[in-house]
Amino acid sequence: MSIKGGYFRKHLHVDLTCGALERRDLSEEFIERYVGGRGFGAKLVWDNLKAHNFKLDPLGAENLLVVAPGPLTGAYVPSSGKNSFVAISPATGLYGDSSIGGSFGVELRQAGLDCLSITGAAPQLSILFIDNDNVSIIEMPQLKGKTCLQAEGIIKERLGSHNVHTATIGVAGENRVRFACVNSDWSRNAGRTGIGAIMGAKNLKAIVVRGTKDLPVFDVNGLVEETQKAVKYMTEHKYFKLWQQQGLMNVIEYANEKGILPAYNFKATTFAAHDKINGETMLEHYKIGDSACFMCPMCCGNICLVKNGKYTGTVTEGPEYESCAMLGSNLGVERFDAVLAANKLCDELGVDTISTGSIVGAVIEGYEKGIISLADLDGKGIAWNDDEAIMDLIGRIARREGIGDILAEGSRRIIQQWPEMEKVILQVKGLEQSAYDSRVGASMGLAYATSDIGAHHTRAWTIAKEIEEGANWSTEDKVDLVMYHQAVRPLFDMLGVCRLPWIELGLNERHYEKFYSYVTGKQTTLEELLKLSDHVYNLTRRMNVRLGATRKEDSLPYKVRKSPVLTGPNAGKTLDEHEFERMLSLYYQKRGWDKDGMPPVEIEAAF
Amino acid sequence: MSKKLAVIPEECSGCKMCELVCAIKHFGVNNPKKSAIRVLITYPHPVVRMPIVCSQCKKPPCEEVCPVDALSRVNGVVALNTGVCISCFHCVESCPFGAIYAHDDCDYPIKCDMCDGDPECVKRCPKAALRLVPEYALGESKRLNNVLSYTQMKEVEFVEKGETKIIHYAEIGKEQL
Repeated sequence: MSIKGGYFRKHLHVDLTCGALERRDLSEEFIERYVGGRGFGAKLVWDNLKAHNFKLDPLGAENLLVVAPGPLTGAYVPSSGKNSFVAISPATGLYGDSSIGGSFGVELRQAGLDCLSITGAAPQLSILFIDNDNVSIIEMPQLKGKTCLQAEGIIKERLGSHNVHTATIGVAGENRVRFACVNSDWSRNAGRTGIGAIMGAKNLKAIVVRGTKDLPVFDVNGLVEETQKAVKYMTEHKYFKLWQQQGLMNVIEYANEKGILPAYNFKATTFAAHDKINGETMLEHYKIGDSACFMCPMCCGNICLVKNGKYTGTVTEGPEYESCAMLGSNLGVERFDAVLAANKLCDELGVDTISTGSIVGAVIEGYEKGIISLADLDGKGIAWNDDEAIMDLIGRIARREGIGDILAEGSRRIIQQWPEMEKVILQVKGLEQSAYDSRVGASMGLAYATSDIGAHHTRAWTIAKEIEEGANWSTEDKVDLVMYHQAVRPLFDMLGVCRLPWIELGLNERHYEKFYSYVTGKQTTLEELLKLSDHVYNLTRRMNVRLGATRKEDSLPYKVRKSPVLTGPNAGKTLDEHEFERMLSLYYQKRGWDKDGMPPVEIEAAF
Repeated sequence: MSKKLAVIPEECSGCKMCELVCAIKHFGVNNPKKSAIRVLITYPHPVVRMPIVCSQCKKPPCEEVCPVDALSRVNGVVALNTGVCISCFHCVESCPFGAIYAHDDCDYPIKCDMCDGDPECVKRCPKAALRLVPEYALGESKRLNNVLSYTQMKEVEFVEKGETKIIHYAEIGKEQL
């Protein structure tokens, strides 16, 4: 056996329909090939999909939800609190995943599990309680309609313990809003791809975990030495203090300066009132504490409190950059207290801040342009910077009231209802685009277009390099960087650690081959690990192809292609479509996929 | 030993690195549930992130309740003699701070021993929320913060070598002079 540590080799499979619990052993080959987190999830979801002949309703009982930390989750490794949720996404109908920080994944590992998979649907609203080796499904109909935070409080009271970690859904999840999220540790969210709706469809209000076991680490002393080197590098970095103080909020200024900040539904990419919603403003008037995920020296979470005005008393963790941009500048909101209130509202209702901000922004623009009528809006008008109308609409989406019932179905359904909205809404594969504009350069467009989950920056984030290099950067280099990112970044999700120490502080990715080796006892190299990550990328691509995705789905929103940026350093720019198509073809060729973006069917034998 | 482990909860981010390094140092295992320091986190009412660790009391309630005198204060540290301890865990319940811990795998209560005067948690805390200070310095940071929040304190911003700094001073009313 080459893997001597890092895993309990245990997988718990739960069928909520009949309440059956099954403990399965994970084979050596499985853990070697798929590592953990997103890797485990992709493989298990693939197997389930195959068993259903590649036809499956994402909101049906048969959709398998995989909850998987990685072998480094909870280990003495910087920022090791990550956990992945993987399933077929109700937003895209394709492969979907989303990860959370905090301590939930650590707790799951300490309960002796490397992986949890959930199928079926409970007859009554229930919670799944994993208390070390004791697992139970508890019916808790009293949680119906409760917010994420309320539910967490009620569950902790019912179990008589605050030493549990929870992953809960809010009203939006219960109502199967296709961009509902999973909330953990009060304010960490697995936001994207609608995982919350899957839990809702399964009548699963929460997963609750308590674990106290030792994590199997092969060489603790070696790991301590390596981690202390890494942490020393991080704490001595010139931007370390800035990260501790502002977290991701420091990106607002950068994004505004470089003209990639979404404003007024991406009509503009600079925001005149950026200084009202930036990190400095947060520090000066709102921040009351730091919040870190497990083992993270960077503590990018900000706890904020509104101390005066109409939102007095609003306490929320965050917002981070994406939430602040999508609920702030993207909606023309010029007051930070309103951004905080909207952020908290999204956390409470359990909707993804990115998709919510994107859809609400599109509705405001659609209404402005006359595509959506006042009657469509149930007689309630909405405008930029109208914080009260914005929050009212978010509530109606989560509760599926009036127009909210259509909006809750996500951007594809919105385009079906109002075809002209295609020109307004920013989405790829049905997933709304996150808060970096791609008109500045084609590499970020390629990143969004080829991301397996839709228009999210989690797979590749090349925009900083794009801005730095400008016109000097060759098409081939761009494609190479997108591909490199698409291997490295998902690798972090497979290992169960956060990528911010690497992408933001430049922590050398070579550290991770050593972390992996010390934890598992298996000597490896970064190159070997990247191959495993690429293997998973091919797997998710084949999955999407099987579910009907082709080159057509790797296309960018109309707005990115046709509507020039209105303000800032990138004013007048649209994405160069010819360059994009060329890049896409080159990308397929380099990946060994055919002209239509399909990996050869033969590789399925290796999954 | 005259140094005390001081906790500054305002600085704590809740990363639990202290927990993990404590467990690794004392048990050699990667398990934050075996540490003698734990971060208590409550949210949102109240918002608290507070590492709870033994205060090495001079009149330790744990020592008083111990039926076999396994706990005693040696060089400023309340030490547990595992050779004598009968694992009744009365000390765990008696601590007014809940700063002694228990774990199913462990025969004895888990209690801070100050790492022979060089606590691992203090060395590894990335926020300097844990500090080793002389006993006479306890409370100093509180005093300073408190002073700065006095209403009559004024501040003046100035630039020194390109760096913006703030000087605080107490304005004395003219009529008092």
